[in-house]
Amino acid sequence: MDELKNDNQHAMSLYRSAVRLLPACLRVTSRRALVTSSARTKDHDLHLPTPAGPLGTWATLKPRPEKYVDTEADIDPSVTDPLRHPDYFGVRQLFTMSDLFDARVHLGHREGSLNPYMAEFLLGSRLGHCVFDLERTAQLLRDALNFTTHIAYRGGIIMFVCRSPQHVHMVERTAMECGEFSHCRHWPPGVFTDSTALFGGVTRLPDLLVLLNTLDTVLEQHGAVKHAAKMLIPTVGVVDSNCDPRLVTYPVPGNDDSTTAVRLYCKLFSEAIRRGKAEREKSAVV
Amino acid sequence: MSLGREQAGQVQQRPAKNTSKAMMAYLERATKHEEFMRKQVHEFEIGKRHLANMMGEDPEHFTQEDVDRAIEYLFPTGIFDKKARPKMRHPTEVFPQQKAAQFDATGRPFHTLFYTLKPNFYMTLYELVEKMNQLDRLQAKNDALGKLPDITQKLSLLGSEWLDIEELGKMLVETLKEPQYQEFVRAMNRLVEHPLAYHHKDFIFKYRKMLRVSNETDTVPELLFDSAGRPYMEATGYRKRAVARAVVHGRGSGRVTVNGLPLVHYCHRDGGRSGNQDVAQYDGPTQRYHGKRRRGHRKRTSFVPEPWKRPHPVQAPSSQAGAVRHAVSLALRSFVDKEMQETMRLAGLLTRDVRERERYKPGKKGSRKGRTWKKR
Repeated sequence: MDELKNDNQHAMSLYRSAVRLLPACLRVTSRRALVTSSARTKDHDLHLPTPAGPLGTWATLKPRPEKYVDTEADIDPSVTDPLRHPDYFGVRQLFTMSDLFDARVHLGHREGSLNPYMAEFLLGSRLGHCVFDLERTAQLLRDALNFTTHIAYRGGIIMFVCRSPQHVHMVERTAMECGEFSHCRHWPPGVFTDSTALFGGVTRLPDLLVLLNTLDTVLEQHGAVKHAAKMLIPTVGVVDSNCDPRLVTYPVPGNDDSTTAVRLYCKLFSEAIRRGKAEREKSAVV
Repeated sequence: MSLGREQAGQVQQRPAKNTSKAMMAYLERATKHEEFMRKQVHEFEIGKRHLANMMGEDPEHFTQEDVDRAIEYLFPTGIFDKKARPKMRHPTEVFPQQKAAQFDATGRPFHTLFYTLKPNFYMTLYELVEKMNQLDRLQAKNDALGKLPDITQKLSLLGSEWLDIEELGKMLVETLKEPQYQEFVRAMNRLVEHPLAYHHKDFIFKYRKMLRVSNETDTVPELLFDSAGRPYMEATGYRKRAVARAVVHGRGSGRVTVNGLPLVHYCHRDGGRSGNQDVAQYDGPTQRYHGKRRRGHRKRTSFVPEPWKRPHPVQAPSSQAGAVRHAVSLALRSFVDKEMQETMRLAGLLTRDVRERERYKPGKKGSRKGRTWKKR
């Protein structure tokens, strides 16, 4: 734990030095007061909703009420209910802040394509490029991995989705290796909403969607986000600065375009699923 | 996680304790389908036996060919399209093959790409990319060692073409759409272009069909020899309703007889002679051959119309000449070399002219000419 703390501290020091290089006019004093328009666009203000409050994402709200989480819980299965433990499978050990930094997870797109609902997850922008707050990303990624592991532990069907052509093969291979499913091809509208007709009979739909890119190849939001929400299927999604995080249950703000970043996500999610399944085998839970 | 292709399999007899709704629905469907197929197969077998009895043949050894012949005899039809004609086939050929259970008792699918709706197709694309990456890695390794690709093993795609969309769909038991098929062809072409593609020859040729090099029905028959040792050839030619049987003798006198009469006496009109002149032009030394031809006509098996619409009983001279030309050309094929045979084929001497007299239509004078149009 201490080593981890040191690693984290080292990464944070690197990060803070990077932030110090941001010109003073762009550095934000308070995370919530971020204004995406730079000096150039003073004439037309971006009318952003205040992130704090009902218009914010799920991530701004508390993930779960404190009374249901037993923070002092031991990891003894006979005593602890996995659902009451804040991190039963120890997913926080799967990555460090420096891993995220090295994989370039903090790099977003340009200011012009910034989605207003992603503003709260940014530290700011540097020379027109958005920079994610990795502290926030790490926290949300831990929640997402924890959720994924629990779903795998309970024998749920997990489906990976990614439409960026350079990563389709990698994502499909990841899904195959951890024994889960993937859909990185053209998305016919009725896959979830009209599944009985399309599959030729009653089919069990996935219990979790892991989106490594919430956009389609035409840079519109992937249909699976909306349809999963309609069918009450929880989603875990990597949301870049040009994505809409509102319908994603567990958004993970970060870079979805760099191959190093996607490789890291694949590694983390497949490891999380493997842990959940291993635990399931051990305890033989129905 | 099974990544293989689906095979038609047995239905699970006993569902597990925690059977999902999906599995229950599938079991219901599958049992219904099996019941239906059993009934169809039973009816087919009984029908086959009845048919054999009707035809007076042994029901035990009644093959599919016998069935086809019997159906053709009992239900004569003039329908042009062969697929529209009546036929009696085994139910497994008639009803489309259904995929076996795609998921286990808990409803969890077997195939990792199940939710794409075309798991076999997209698995093929995945394997393709995997092989491309393999070849790239191999090439990088070879470049490091200074090894060049083996030119002797270079893939030759001559004489074969990619399976078309229907054949591919049948192979994968999935109906494909045009854009998906185009994507597949483009991807396969990219794989083939790789200098080391010969390592995956089996994979590539699984999706290629060999083109027929030559028409099997066009094997040129060997020369026959008569008692005197002279080579000769017989052939039958057709044109409209005329049938001509030609016997061409090698090392001959050059005399040509038609129905016993010399050629000049039979072909008193230009229409008759032209066909034969064409043959003579192509086959240069016709003097070396002499031929006997017999003309006749072919009777129609379907209904015979009114007298003024019946075809001429012995057929007009030019169609007879066309039949003779066809017969002589086919006979002469055995005497000449391959080059000349090809020249004859290109000239159209060996093709049976399928043009027939167009049928009369009511409301018209003949096949096309209309009745007099009056303005009022």
